[in-house]
Amino acid sequence: MSTLSRDQVRTMMAEVLSAQGKELPADDSASLETIGFRSLDFSELALRVEDEIGDELNFDAPGLRSIETVGDVLDFLDQLQTA
Amino acid sequence: MSLPAGAGNRVITARYDGTWAGLADAPVLPPAAAVLVQDNTEAVRAVWQAATTPRETLIAAATRVGDEQAQELRESGLAVVRSDAVEPPLTGREPEAGRVWLLTSGSTGRPKQVAHTLESLTTVGGDQPRRTWLCPYATGAYAWWQIVTLSLALPGQDVLFVEPSELDRWPQMAVDAGVTAASGTPTFWRQALFRSGDVLAGLQLEQITLGGEPVDQAILDTLREVFPKARISWIYASSEAGAAIAVHDGRAGFPAAWLERDTPGRPRLTVQDGELVIASAKAAEGMDAAIRTGDRAEVVGDRVLITGRIASDEINVGGSKASASKVRGVLLDHPDVRWAAVRGRKAPLVGQVVMAEVVLADGSAVTDADLTAWCAARLPDYSVPRRLRVLPEIPIKETLKSDV
Repeated sequence: MSTLSRDQVRTMMAEVLSAQGKELPADDSASLETIGFRSLDFSELALRVEDEIGDELNFDAPGLRSIETVGDVLDFLDQLQTA
Repeated sequence: MSLPAGAGNRVITARYDGTWAGLADAPVLPPAAAVLVQDNTEAVRAVWQAATTPRETLIAAATRVGDEQAQELRESGLAVVRSDAVEPPLTGREPEAGRVWLLTSGSTGRPKQVAHTLESLTTVGGDQPRRTWLCPYATGAYAWWQIVTLSLALPGQDVLFVEPSELDRWPQMAVDAGVTAASGTPTFWRQALFRSGDVLAGLQLEQITLGGEPVDQAILDTLREVFPKARISWIYASSEAGAAIAVHDGRAGFPAAWLERDTPGRPRLTVQDGELVIASAKAAEGMDAAIRTGDRAEVVGDRVLITGRIASDEINVGGSKASASKVRGVLLDHPDVRWAAVRGRKAPLVGQVVMAEVVLADGSAVTDADLTAWCAARLPDYSVPRRLRVLPEIPIKETLKSDV
């Protein structure tokens, strides 16, 4: 399976937000709550990644609760792709 | 048996062009037969024998019946006929004269066998204007029998049968045969408008009938625009419940005043827990007095809208219930969307998200983002499609229905 770079996933994340008229800040420490990135958005991002890499991500991996920032999302998706 | 009143009507298939009565010289079928046909020519020959001799008949496209089911048909006392090959029944019994068996569309699993007669399949009577009908339905399906029995029962009702392999070019075939009435699913009409709208507009259609799928206002309006003089009807019918509702006013749904009304000769319609329930004299035999249709019905103002299948309509998005048919309706309301299919897709965190496939009008510059914004302005957040795919053309199955 191919993997996407952190930058590529970041671009997709920006697309998910921009479809709702929202912007993804450049700062990875920005809080998801502040920018309005919710579980449904996270699901959409995961599907975009899955479609791109042609494989399903295993979300049963631990660590979901600690996802609070943009950086956490990018780290988590990076971790899932290489799991 | 006397000859059917429509014996002199013209029947056109890929290999036959003549009257019903002209089919009389076909090889005689066994008295109780499941005729698994290659095409409509074989099918109309079997129909003529069913209509003129006391026998028991099942007609289905050979592609729909597997070996196991063919074996069961033989065990039930029917010979299985495939072109010239006859496999005898495995149970000896008297044929049930006049019995016509139908296989349901089998939307869930394998086709089911339901019991009709030519009489229970004949739902149009009285004086009808002379017409040449187009029959694009799958051979032996309920909607196919509706057109067949109409042509058998009433003089002046000719039929052009279209094979599945000819569906792409039916508008030209219809022009050539002088078709004036056509019946098809909304998907069938959408595909024809999308693919050959210019040829279609040249057809002198007097009667347009839609059925087999939920009929939305957008397709009715488009057909009205292309065929301003045609009578446009939509029919609610199923193998089990028979033809139960016919609406001719150009509006989606049926009048709410028809609910819970007892009219002799008409089915009684009710909505129970959001589901359409029908009690009909034209139902298949062995059915409950009131048939739960599995179709979602919703009273909106003075109309009852039938919007989709209950079982497949609901998409659970993180506990919120999105309705696939509602999302589809919103997409179809977009001026550039010609066709749409909506379903749930397994997704992390929320269980399912709404995903949609659309076909756009020729030359449309509409983007995914535009459609998402369109939906977001009209639907709750969880119902907005999160994955949206634009297809180059409308996918269609043998039943003429699309998976919507």
